[in-house]
Amino acid sequence: MMRGRAVTALIALGAVLALAAAVHAASSPAGISATVDRARISTDLGSTFAFRSTIVNHGPAADGVIAHLNIVSLNGDVYVDPEDWSTHRTRYLGSVRAGGAQTITWRLKAVSSGSFGVYVAVLRRGGADRPPITAPLVAVHVAGRTTLNAGGILSVALVVPACIGLFTLGLRLRRRRA
Amino acid sequence: MSLAHAPLERGETPLVRVERPNIWAVVFERELRDLWTGGRALVMCFAFSLLLSVIAYLVATNTDLNFLEQRESVSLTLQVAIAVGALLALLVAGDAISGERERGTLETMLLTPAPRRQIAAGKLLAALSLWLAAFVVTVPYVWRLGHGVGIVAEALAVGLVVGTLLAIFLASLGIVISVFSGSNRFSLSLSLFVLLALFAPSQLPSSAEQGWAGNLLIRFNPVTAGEHFVGRIVVNGHSWSEDASWLVSPVLAAVIFAVLAPVVAGRYMSLRGGVSE
Repeated sequence: MMRGRAVTALIALGAVLALAAAVHAASSPAGISATVDRARISTDLGSTFAFRSTIVNHGPAADGVIAHLNIVSLNGDVYVDPEDWSTHRTRYLGSVRAGGAQTITWRLKAVSSGSFGVYVAVLRRGGADRPPITAPLVAVHVAGRTTLNAGGILSVALVVPACIGLFTLGLRLRRRRA
Repeated sequence: MSLAHAPLERGETPLVRVERPNIWAVVFERELRDLWTGGRALVMCFAFSLLLSVIAYLVATNTDLNFLEQRESVSLTLQVAIAVGALLALLVAGDAISGERERGTLETMLLTPAPRRQIAAGKLLAALSLWLAAFVVTVPYVWRLGHGVGIVAEALAVGLVVGTLLAIFLASLGIVISVFSGSNRFSLSLSLFVLLALFAPSQLPSSAEQGWAGNLLIRFNPVTAGEHFVGRIVVNGHSWSEDASWLVSPVLAAVIFAVLAPVVAGRYMSLRGGVSE
């Protein structure tokens, strides 16, 4: 009986320690944590998608809170310029009151196909000694798109040179015969 | 040259009216025939249409993928068409005098009583026909890319005006270079170099255009000013009068060089070029 209680107590202690470690990983010493509303996004090349991140302040009022969005290719096979994906990647949130939260909507454009990781980092102005914290990763899968005849341009792109080419050829043949 | 006898009236002294044909028109007609029925201009137009097809296809794909706005795609295509169309006119003009000199046909031309100024004017007009043909080739591309947003007519109008001004400027410049060049190779190389130098500022980062020096460079250079004007009208939807100041340097360059080319040709056109390699 005693042995069973000891085991239960050890398991409970382990769970508490693991939880504490998890909380520590997602929040800064100042008590700020960041979450996102989606873990996965699937979209098409050229489409616009959005997700929201929420920054919660568990500690005393925090000034100069900055949220920054970043994008990386998970396979490393695609060059990623985050500025192409979002033109508004840094948000200066100002102060977040004690126990308060701020939700930010991030809108992105899928400019390359492949698998990407999108994450939001939260940092503090003048917080050189405070490491930034990051929200959980949003896994984005962008499917390629075939745009063979975009806007019906193919007909013009083929017909115009073909007409001029045939006319030139015909003229040359006629001159050669003459 | 032809003679025409006017009917005489009583008491009138016999007169022989001499009609001098417009030499420039004769040269223009002959050059046009050489260019177009000879096939040289058609081959250039074919290459131009291939280039425009590739550009239009790329921008249409980018527009379809939402990477480019429709107005931007029209502006981009139009700017390429203006640049390359003016280049064609410059190439033909660059070959006009130095080419004749190299082929040994300039001597025959100089032996005729035709004023050299008019010879140059005829050749200049013939070179400009390349730009007009390039513009006609551009029309279906602009129409296809711009339909649906109501900018086709305005884009074509601004393209025609700016392109014609730049083509006049560059073709006249080509004639001047050709007059002084000792060889055709030198004339064409120098013409291309000048063209690239004129287009180089358009590759400056936008931040470099913000300062007064950058802005002055863009405004002073007829090519960059003209291209900038096209962008303002087509992409930003500005009115012509709002950005008319951007047309000052293309207009001035076109007028000055169109006058300068025949004057220079009249004075310096000779069997041997003024500048040798």
